[in-house]
Amino acid sequence: MGRLKVKGKAGAAKNFTTRSQAVKKLQCSLADFRRLCILKGIFPREPRSRKKANKGSSAPTSFYYTKDIAYLAHEPVLKKLREHKAFAKKLSRALGRGEWSAAKSLEDNKPVYRLDHIIKERYPTFIDALRDIDDALCMIFLFATLPSTTRLPREIVENCARLAAEWQLYIMHTHSLRKVFLSIKGVYYQAEVMDQTITWLIPYSFTQNVPPDVDLRVMLTFLELYQTLLGFVNFKLYTDATLVYPPPLDAKKDDTAAGVGAFSLQTAEVQVKKAAEKIKSVAVDGRTVTGKDVRQTIKSITAASGEQESGDSEMAELEENVEEEEAFVLQTSHTQVASDLPTLQTLSSLPTSSTSNLFAPYTFWISREVPRSVFEFLIRSFGGRVGWPASSGSGSPFDESDENITHVIIDRPSVQKEETPAQRDLRLRRKFVQPQWVVDSINASKILLEDTYAQGKSLPPHLSPFGEYNGAYDPTAEAEAGDDVDMSDVEEEEAEEAASDDEETEPSKDNVEAALASVTEDPATLRAAELAAEAAGMDYGTFEAKVKKASKKSSAKSSKTVEDAEKDMNKMLMSNKQRKLYEKMKYSQQKQAAENDKLESRRRKLQKDKATQ
Amino acid sequence: MANSNPKKTSVKRKHTEKDDAPAVAPVTLKLSGLEMLTDDEDGDDYNPEDDTDDGEVDDEDDDEDGDDEDEDESLSEDEEDQDEEEEGSTEEDSEVESDYHIFPKAKTVISDITGQPKKVYPEIEPDYDSDSSTEEATNRVGDVPMHWYDDMPHIGYDINGKRVLRPARGDELDKFLATVDDPSAWTSAFDKTSQEEKPLSSEELDIIKRLYAGENPDENYDPYEPMVEWFTGKGKEEIMPLSAAPEPKRRWVRSKWEKQKIMKIVRAIRAGRIVGQKPKTTSKYEVYSIWSSEPSTSAPPALPAPKRALPTNAESYNPPEEYLMTEEERKEWESKDAEDRERDFMPQKFTSLRLVPAYDQFIKERFNRQLDLYLAPRIQRTKLNIDPTSLIPKLPSPSSLRPFPNYKSLNIRHPKGRARCVSISPDGNWAASGDEDGVVSLWEVNVGCEVKRWKFEGKIGSIEWAPRQDVSYFAVGVEETIHFLIPPNVDSTTLAQTHALLAPSALPSAGPTPSPVKWTSTSVSSWSNDKPILSLTLPPSSGVPTQLQWHKKGDYFASVSTGGATQNAVWIHQLSKRHSQAPFRKIKGAVQLVLFHPTMPHFFVATQQYVRLYNLAEQKLIKTLMPGYDRKLCWFDLELSEKPYKVLKYHSRAIRSLHFHPKYPLFASASDDGSIQIFHSRVYNDLMTDPLIVPLKILRGHQITDGLGVLQVKWNPKQPWLASAGADGTVAVWCS
Repeated sequence: MGRLKVKGKAGAAKNFTTRSQAVKKLQCSLADFRRLCILKGIFPREPRSRKKANKGSSAPTSFYYTKDIAYLAHEPVLKKLREHKAFAKKLSRALGRGEWSAAKSLEDNKPVYRLDHIIKERYPTFIDALRDIDDALCMIFLFATLPSTTRLPREIVENCARLAAEWQLYIMHTHSLRKVFLSIKGVYYQAEVMDQTITWLIPYSFTQNVPPDVDLRVMLTFLELYQTLLGFVNFKLYTDATLVYPPPLDAKKDDTAAGVGAFSLQTAEVQVKKAAEKIKSVAVDGRTVTGKDVRQTIKSITAASGEQESGDSEMAELEENVEEEEAFVLQTSHTQVASDLPTLQTLSSLPTSSTSNLFAPYTFWISREVPRSVFEFLIRSFGGRVGWPASSGSGSPFDESDENITHVIIDRPSVQKEETPAQRDLRLRRKFVQPQWVVDSINASKILLEDTYAQGKSLPPHLSPFGEYNGAYDPTAEAEAGDDVDMSDVEEEEAEEAASDDEETEPSKDNVEAALASVTEDPATLRAAELAAEAAGMDYGTFEAKVKKASKKSSAKSSKTVEDAEKDMNKMLMSNKQRKLYEKMKYSQQKQAAENDKLESRRRKLQKDKATQ
Repeated sequence: MANSNPKKTSVKRKHTEKDDAPAVAPVTLKLSGLEMLTDDEDGDDYNPEDDTDDGEVDDEDDDEDGDDEDEDESLSEDEEDQDEEEEGSTEEDSEVESDYHIFPKAKTVISDITGQPKKVYPEIEPDYDSDSSTEEATNRVGDVPMHWYDDMPHIGYDINGKRVLRPARGDELDKFLATVDDPSAWTSAFDKTSQEEKPLSSEELDIIKRLYAGENPDENYDPYEPMVEWFTGKGKEEIMPLSAAPEPKRRWVRSKWEKQKIMKIVRAIRAGRIVGQKPKTTSKYEVYSIWSSEPSTSAPPALPAPKRALPTNAESYNPPEEYLMTEEERKEWESKDAEDRERDFMPQKFTSLRLVPAYDQFIKERFNRQLDLYLAPRIQRTKLNIDPTSLIPKLPSPSSLRPFPNYKSLNIRHPKGRARCVSISPDGNWAASGDEDGVVSLWEVNVGCEVKRWKFEGKIGSIEWAPRQDVSYFAVGVEETIHFLIPPNVDSTTLAQTHALLAPSALPSAGPTPSPVKWTSTSVSSWSNDKPILSLTLPPSSGVPTQLQWHKKGDYFASVSTGGATQNAVWIHQLSKRHSQAPFRKIKGAVQLVLFHPTMPHFFVATQQYVRLYNLAEQKLIKTLMPGYDRKLCWFDLELSEKPYKVLKYHSRAIRSLHFHPKYPLFASASDDGSIQIFHSRVYNDLMTDPLIVPLKILRGHQITDGLGVLQVKWNPKQPWLASAGADGTVAVWCS
């Protein structure tokens, strides 16, 4: 006889820990435990048998791996949380006693935990981090637009806004945006960064109110993690793209709602060069002036002097070009020196495909009712130049009277009004399109015809660029094919009926048809059918033909039914498990098919309604 | 009392002298002895002087509080102040004051002896005028109760011992008149020692007034006197030491221990152990190149969270119209709980982007996603991306496994009752069927022509042809009896052999143990085709023999009776010895069917729950098979397990009958759902190959009556044909 087995000492009973046990073991509060779980990415597990895992109790609890909890016990953040608890006690005591200076020094030395090691643990490689960044982006873009309250400090909102702008800048800079979808929830963006498809959702810019049943503490804990993660990811992306991180923020522009334009991207080479230039920089009035400074001052002067000057924008453009050229030359020389093998840098500096520069030849003007942040991002990520009126924020590179504007994105009903010949000329030279045109063009990766999206026209439906499951209802492709089949069928039938009506008008026709339907069953019925045909006055040739047709139809049908019957019979030899799986799959297939049919029939009905109107 | 305070009295007197022209004889005041004469008019008007005085003081106070208006007033006030001071001057004051002084003024002279300035007072002349004590009242009795002198004519004695006579006192009217005449009457009090009214001085009145007001009687008492700092402030420090002990050394020598402590800290600072002003943590979100180093752990990263499903066309702000909900769908969607909804949003169509409102569930959705991330257990599931039809086992097509019964070729009707049983002769030409009305009909299998009909009393439970080829007869189980019938038109040799078998000339001797089963045979002479040649009566109330099962050699057969009262339902009969025995003394559960093993001396007994396999030779139980309950067809491998190798559950109702074809690899099952299922079954000699079971055909044609469908199926031993007896009273033959 072997060793006696003691219950609850091995197996599931040992491998799983309930939540309350975990909290007890970690000696922290439930809130802290939750925070830790969120930060460390530990989630409950479902044991095979809840009874075995919970000492025979089947009470509804959540289980964690005991090893996960043991791993949490050594977490530096847990230590910091405990320190914070002690700190809070000390601080409240100091405040209660009115020892202000002590309280201040305590506050100065407040324990703060950092999440770097957690990021490194959870995402050992950069690709892992990128793969998991969808949720982070959604949250950060959401919080970047929330109003700061007592529960949501201003610093957090500002940091989120900064991170979001940096991300957008990077996407614009690398032209890595692929798909956009305007949904009722917000705008979905899909980008391809380092071969990872990243999708994020930004709500439309309205004030969001936090519903009362949402626990903001949980969201803020997630946000803490996501801010750290996105910070590191941005850093890595920027440095890999040889850009300076963080991109310098122009506070003045930021105050005037310049949005993304408040940041200026600087390549690291420029920085290096600047460092080299430092030696030969000119000293004016006792302080050194570098080329960069000069350029910046010129820029600021022109920006301040008059935004109406159209030459300004060209100048700015020139400036950009100059910068780009510099960067380009430096990069090529660098790669030549390095090696002939393609490195990440060379790959990223390869001329981007034509789709990513879709809007390069065009210049856009965003009308004031169109959300500028969205469309500026879209157009600039596809290489277009974009301007906007001052009411949507400062920093527009050109103004409305610019000659180069090719497209005006406008979202108002067209109004007839008096206009001067000059205005008319301007209007005719530009194309006025609705915002959906931009998005649909991006998704189609070609410039669509502007006329369908012209101002005031009813728009074609906006479809999801992400596609649906295989074999799903496709509102575009089936529109023509399905119609053709249907129409031809109907026509044929009608024609046939008309012909038969011409030929014979006897009432016994139905009988013959019915007889024919069951003709192939056995010779007796065939005989009966023949007789019926004779009685109806049908000549033998047509009867033969009909018989052949009917037999063909029925044989096809019967062969199909035979196969089905065989299949049905074979089903009885399936094991229980297989049968259940089969039924499940069939169920879902049928459900999908029903859904598709419903949509199809609805569309047909709508078309019919339209046709009749 | 008067003597005790001479100075004061003298002051009083001086005042009176100065102020008031008529000098009043000085009297000692004894406040305790004073009695106010006029109690009624106490508060109204004291003394005009006093009143004005008061008023002035008040004014002055007010002025001091508020403002000093002009010099005139202030001057006059000053004068009055001075007056007041003069009036209320005390001894200390009088020393300072120059004009009105009681004592002679002191002169400051340089002393000849010490050389220091000193005060020199003038000499006091010791005459009567010099001391106030000499001007005392005449009555010198002292402080004695005056009522001692009530009866005397005098009231005391003067300084010389002479009697002081009681002053004349008028009656009440005189007193009253005196008060009327004298305006100062109400400010006078009765003096006991002199036994007469004495006017109160203004000081006394002032004291009374103060006492009335609850103030300190002393006029000069200032409760808010500024504190005089005697020992604090510059130049007033106490320089005198409190103790004479010498100053300790620690006051001026540096502490060695403190120095050591300080040096320790200094050394620590120099070594960098103590950092002055710890650098503040710059930011919580400071970034650096975190992925530049290799990952610290080689462990695979945790399961990544599943991504959210990408939006479909229905979520578009401008979807095709067919995606929009109809009114009913919308109502259904709204009535459902948020968790039960298939979609978390309602498709909507907007004509332009500027009309799209905010999505109110945005934060809630994000929050739910986060709850999923940290509260939901994650399981990795391999998603089966297969065609469901691939799950259906691939079997050879039935058309390749011909022949098998395909269609109904014959239909024999038993018009009066359910056709319970059918049996086909071993040569495959004849069939016998019985119904519940007691009719047994014999018919030809190929054509369906009925040859002979027997009628019995009671239900026919079972019919079974004897398996032997050389004889021809069949057994019929009717109501506790089993009859043996010989069909007509049998050739003579077979008939003779059958006769010899069933009705031998010499009956075998009775067995050693008497059996409850009675064998009765009709003699060959009186035998006809209409009557059974041999009958076997089971014990009474044992029920209808629903099954007869021949052993393959044709000598033994087993019968199972159901519906009877007795337990012992299974009998094994031996024809040659005309002996019956019950193999089981007691059997658990109701026996449904029995079966002889085709090759071995084994015997299967099926009850409702299990199938038992007995060895008849050794008389012991070999195996118990567990088929489980209804509607299942279980395929057992006897060499493997007691559990079924394969369970086929395809009949929707109870299975009534099952029969293997003796020659072809076919078997058929019949059920109460009215269908007959034909299977191809093949068992291979190779142990590695699984037996093959292929469903071939579902035969439908029997009607379901009273919940009963097909009651029995039997194969034709020579042909792949099937005979079936149905509850609708028909017996059908199915041909290939």
